[in-house]
Amino acid sequence: MTDPSVTTDADLFSAEAVENPYPMLAELRELAAAVYSTKYDFYVLTRYEDVREAARNWEGFTSSRGVALTDEFNTRIAGSVLATDPPEHDALRAVLSDKLAPRGLAVVREQIAAYAAELVAELVAQGRFDGVTEIARVFPINVVADLVGFPTEGRDKMQPGADATFSAFGPFGEYAQQHLPLMADYGQWMAQMADRSKLAPGGWGEAVMDAVDDGRLSEDGARRTFSAYLTAGMDTTVNAIGALLRIFAERNDIWDALKTQPSLAGPIFEEVLRFESPVVGFWRVATRDAHFHATTVPRGSRVLLHWAAANRDPRKYRNPDLFDIDRNPIDHVAFGYGIHACAGQGLARMEVVTLLAALAEQIDEIHLDGPAVRGRNPIVRGYDSVPLHVTARGTK
Amino acid sequence: MKLEVSNLCEGHALCVQTAPEVFELDEDGYARIKFDRVPADLERVAELGARVCPVAAIVVEQ
Repeated sequence: MTDPSVTTDADLFSAEAVENPYPMLAELRELAAAVYSTKYDFYVLTRYEDVREAARNWEGFTSSRGVALTDEFNTRIAGSVLATDPPEHDALRAVLSDKLAPRGLAVVREQIAAYAAELVAELVAQGRFDGVTEIARVFPINVVADLVGFPTEGRDKMQPGADATFSAFGPFGEYAQQHLPLMADYGQWMAQMADRSKLAPGGWGEAVMDAVDDGRLSEDGARRTFSAYLTAGMDTTVNAIGALLRIFAERNDIWDALKTQPSLAGPIFEEVLRFESPVVGFWRVATRDAHFHATTVPRGSRVLLHWAAANRDPRKYRNPDLFDIDRNPIDHVAFGYGIHACAGQGLARMEVVTLLAALAEQIDEIHLDGPAVRGRNPIVRGYDSVPLHVTARGTK
Repeated sequence: MKLEVSNLCEGHALCVQTAPEVFELDEDGYARIKFDRVPADLERVAELGARVCPVAAIVVEQ
């Protein structure tokens, strides 16, 4: 359908590329501003300025024809906040933005800090624990579930369900196929939760149901909103925390810096987002021919905005493959950019900064207690396991 | 230089964090520009503050 000028037959989602995508991304970034994937039939943007500009230009790069790779999955997410443009998009986003934006979060800050302190105290008492299964997949999940007002029962479906759902944004490869049952199970559970009697009063869930009652949202829209916020609302945070714990265990200089200067928590979180880009990217569809330097992306093409590639672009970040706590790269695109930028980024920042404060306050030394194991999800980068051994502060 | 905060602002406050000389949050938690016209010596920092807005809500008019 197109006449692509620069092409690649490399598989961006092979097991090797998922394990370490950066060598391939660096090659693509230097090959051309936009490269056509013959295997998957899309163009990939890898340079920071181009990715950011395409994300900003929602009229030229629409989300309304889906932000996933496959037609099958785009049909499933059609009409959600992720896959609409203004004006439909704005009404969906407004339902929760009052709660999600920093101004709405002040009231829950202390509650989140207390939970972080309690969770870290339990783990420090244990001494040995898994940073992924016992912190990264526990803390953000319970924070979000509490804010939405979910009962305790069924929360164990949230992280596996969100992870499976994210994988379905990419090609329906082995990982997505294996994890489909988890996604179905999670979808059923969320549909049951879109019910006022199941939700604690005053939470985000109730705000969604209020929007249904006064006609701003359909019942189907409510289910899609739950799904969009819960799925998007956890994985970036979960995987950033897992990656950070590994970095702390391997880079004592960074851990010591945080301990002596807890105000570094914010810059450290921004840097891990740039460095790891937990969500590797989302797709758009070009609504007209788009020119990136010498390459043209023809109208109607699917285009991958590669956040992970953009965040390692040496045109933007010096020594991009170095984790540098002095960088404070708050203009990274790990949360996307523009009207579809992550609506929950304020919450993510608060959660992680709060958690890092609790870790720095209570832990003296932190070491790996076995090999860290990378996850295999093609769309969400993170770890399945980071075994840790810690000592308590002040009990040497 | 003139800056404007559009109705896309959600109060993420990265502009305030980056350029507190130029941006502040209003009573409702949205960004506000401290000046009608940004003084010449603050233009660079104002531009940086506008640039980091995650939802592209700050428009630089000239």
